[in-house]
Amino acid sequence: MWLPILGLLVGVALGLLVSIQVPLSYVKYSAIAILASVDTILGGVRAQCEGRFDLWVFLSGFVVNTLFAAGLTALGDLLGLDIYLGAVVAFSIRIFNNVGFIRRDLLGLAWRSRATETGKT
Amino acid sequence: MLMPPRTWQIALTAVAVVAGFVLAVQFRTERSIERGLHVSSGRLGEIAYRYRMADRRQAALRQRIEDLRREIAAEEQRAAGGRRAEAALAASLEDARTRAGLVPLHGPGIVVTMADSRRPLRGGEDPNLVLIHYSDVQAVVGTLWAAGAEAIAVNDERLVGQSGLSCVGTTILCNTRRLAPPYRIAAIGDPQALRAAVTARGGVLDQLRAFDFPVAVVTSSDVRVPAYTGGFEHRYARPMLSGQGGAPRPAPGGTRR
Repeated sequence: MWLPILGLLVGVALGLLVSIQVPLSYVKYSAIAILASVDTILGGVRAQCEGRFDLWVFLSGFVVNTLFAAGLTALGDLLGLDIYLGAVVAFSIRIFNNVGFIRRDLLGLAWRSRATETGKT
Repeated sequence: MLMPPRTWQIALTAVAVVAGFVLAVQFRTERSIERGLHVSSGRLGEIAYRYRMADRRQAALRQRIEDLRREIAAEEQRAAGGRRAEAALAASLEDARTRAGLVPLHGPGIVVTMADSRRPLRGGEDPNLVLIHYSDVQAVVGTLWAAGAEAIAVNDERLVGQSGLSCVGTTILCNTRRLAPPYRIAAIGDPQALRAAVTARGGVLDQLRAFDFPVAVVTSSDVRVPAYTGGFEHRYARPMLSGQGGAPRPAPGGTRR
């Protein structure tokens, strides 16, 4: 379980060390990228909690969702509309959903383990 | 469990690295915007809009100054209308105008172009190292005046007696106009002397070249320097007329504006 957190730290360190700056016109895209990756991580954790994690669903979801959101943002830029807000809202809703499910799964685990403990004594 | 336990951890880790990287880069970008401009990136659109509006207004006002000056000149010409005394007066007015920088000039001279260095920054390096600063432009201009230049314009902005070059945030201010790289400094004067002065060993261009800045000096037999389009303001300075002993005299019509 510590591996993903270590990965996050490695990513942050890389981002701080490498001298890449996001050009101003691409700030929307990095918002999308951040939301998409957070959503994917939470989705993966949730699937794992529920014991139905599938590597290909996980990775394809990350890639396809990110590309689709980037496409929407590009379309919005082309039309001068903030269509990317749609993607931001959709990702945010999914993130909250996933957090809620993870919370319930973890609570469920806790209840079950307590039930087994009380059953033993 | 459907998958071996390691797979999901590795997949999550890969995405976590991406998330951390994007977060950190975005954080650094935002910090550098705030440090450079003192605003958050969300407000940049509005500020850019206001900037364009102000720019347009300024351009219109400049155009008006130019039109009015042309009208005045035409009016004087008409008033002179053939009479000798007035014609002489008009000629001396034209001469004064030329000296003040209100007449576009052309003649032999040189054109110095300098741009920001194209060398990519290494990590942790100060971006100031690859930018042309106002002091660099000022050094070239000063060298040119000292070498006998008769008229100088930087990016088509004429330098006159009251002109100054200064640094505002990330751009260079000349008169009331902001300059952006590449900087093109056109000077009328003896081309050989001007060229020798700016390309002197250890001189300003030599130093810029040593730091990999793209710098070019072109000698030309017909350098064009536009007229000054800004205003002249004398709110404090008064002419000292002979016989007045230098005592300042209140302005006839009070202060302007």
